[in-house]
Amino acid sequence: MSKVILLAEDDEDNRDLVQFVLMRSKMDIELVVAENGEEAVKLAKERNPNLILMDMQMPVMDGWTAVPLLKKDDQTKEIPVIAFTAQAKPEDRARTHEIGCVEHYTKPMDPEELLALIQKYLNMQAPA
Amino acid sequence: MNNKAANTARAGTAPVSQKDKEAAKQCLILADKFLKEGDFDRARDEVSKAQKLDPSNPYAYAFLDRIAYFEEQKKKAAPQPAAAPPAHVEPKVPSPPVSESPRPAVKPSSPSPPVAKASPAPAPAPAPSAAKPTPPPKPFSPEPPKTPAPPVQEKKPEPPKEQPKPPPPKPKPESMMEATRPVIADVLAARSKEPKKPSSTPAIADVLEQMSQASAHHAAGAPKGDFDVKLDEMRRQIEMLTKALDQERKVREEMNQQQLKGAIKQLRTAMEKAWVNGVPKDHELVELHDMAVALGIPEDMEQTLNREVKLDMYSRAVKEVVAKQKLLRNSSRTLEWLRKVYKVTMDEYLEYESQFLMDLVADQYKGTILLVSGNEKIARDLGTRLKSGGYAVVNATSPENALEKIEKINPHYILCDMEFSGGSLSGIKFLHVLRANSKFNYIPFILMCETNEMTQLKSSELRPTEGFVEKPIDMDNLNVTMNEKLMAFRQYLSSI
Repeated sequence: MSKVILLAEDDEDNRDLVQFVLMRSKMDIELVVAENGEEAVKLAKERNPNLILMDMQMPVMDGWTAVPLLKKDDQTKEIPVIAFTAQAKPEDRARTHEIGCVEHYTKPMDPEELLALIQKYLNMQAPA
Repeated sequence: MNNKAANTARAGTAPVSQKDKEAAKQCLILADKFLKEGDFDRARDEVSKAQKLDPSNPYAYAFLDRIAYFEEQKKKAAPQPAAAPPAHVEPKVPSPPVSESPRPAVKPSSPSPPVAKASPAPAPAPAPSAAKPTPPPKPFSPEPPKTPAPPVQEKKPEPPKEQPKPPPPKPKPESMMEATRPVIADVLAARSKEPKKPSSTPAIADVLEQMSQASAHHAAGAPKGDFDVKLDEMRRQIEMLTKALDQERKVREEMNQQQLKGAIKQLRTAMEKAWVNGVPKDHELVELHDMAVALGIPEDMEQTLNREVKLDMYSRAVKEVVAKQKLLRNSSRTLEWLRKVYKVTMDEYLEYESQFLMDLVADQYKGTILLVSGNEKIARDLGTRLKSGGYAVVNATSPENALEKIEKINPHYILCDMEFSGGSLSGIKFLHVLRANSKFNYIPFILMCETNEMTQLKSSELRPTEGFVEKPIDMDNLNVTMNEKLMAFRQYLSSI
């Protein structure tokens, strides 16, 4: 059964790039996309994903608001969330961990690094 | 008669040059001349030459058949002229000695061995008392007999008391007719399968009909001279048939080429689908191979195609990544990762490097496009294609939305739908709004219209920097239009 990743990202190019990388990883993954935090919270409840990649700067509702909501909800609190952000300062990193993110991944993206991180939290191996 | 198999066997022989074919034809014409003169050996020599030059020429056998028949008739005519059928031999020409290499009436039908002058013949020379009926020449058969033809003497002897009547003289052209019949049948069969093509050659069925008529006419006792004329006519028609056969062969070859092209296209499409995200899975590779086998694509061609598709898909992925390089931490690491994803070897990469580099140069930033479309799918699909073509694309969902963005982005082009829902301005009205603004009135503006809107646009007065493209958008057409409008814009700039 394929694993589900929820990507909350407002930038279309970034969404395309994550999709581009995941499709070429040949891992059995379904990617669900949300364009803001509000959509992400809604989709997380609906789809119960195995992992969430959350951009912290988004319109309507940002990641800083969405992640605590997910962590308060019994239905979604166990889902690992990776903060997917351009903010690379140490205090930002500490803050993402504070609100319940398991990792702080700084953009721009490196395909192999991102895939390694995804594999780690989905407990998957990339096909040979 | 398995004509099809025989023709397949002919088709399997090495191709004969046009020059040899022509030379073979000349030999057969000479053979005909010698035959008429009663010089059967020279006639055979010429036929033998023709067979060597063009083993695929089916008429050579017909000539051998004719020679044997004429010779036989001549032999019969010498000792017992009264019993002989009307032989078509000039009386002035001395007949060859009877003892000299008698020829069997039935020719081996295998296409390759030419008839050697000294070849042993199973049938003995006909005895002078041979009031015994000579079997008429067997019709030409392109199919080799499975067992050797029984010699004539092995045939059931006729009871001596019975004075057999000579068999009705077989019309001479019939052997030739029979010789061409398998070929004709094959051509007719091929024509019935294939779409009829216009041809200047006479219909083969017509020629066959004429030959039948000629043979019937001769059988009815037509004078010799008339028969010669008819033979000449038939020879001419046989030449035309040969040409018709050549044409048929060319048509078949062309059809085979077309079929192969179609099969390659089909396989390529399937391969592109399988390779789009990197090396296909094992079962996909097996399916592709099975498909190639089913389509009759040779293995080496399949491998070449596979390599081409792999490198093409890799190249596209590279271009896509390069278009998003600002989002990547390290472009070269990403490109290296892609090389692994597509299993592109370093040699292959180096071989194609110049091509990639050219593409990358071409894909450098070409300008910013303001894409105004209320259709999310069109905006996304077209936007993606434009981005991979090197443009920066800013989407606007309506003309009003575009007006909010236009000042900030200062686009190089505007692509706009004709109609928008929800009471928005139409594309034309948006164009008029821009025309009224001195800051934007000469930005190349292209309307994306449906077919039924074309007439309206064609009749409207568009400026040189304004144009339209029809939906669904053809990228080549769009690029041409964009370049055209850009040129007009540059001309405008240089004029002020």
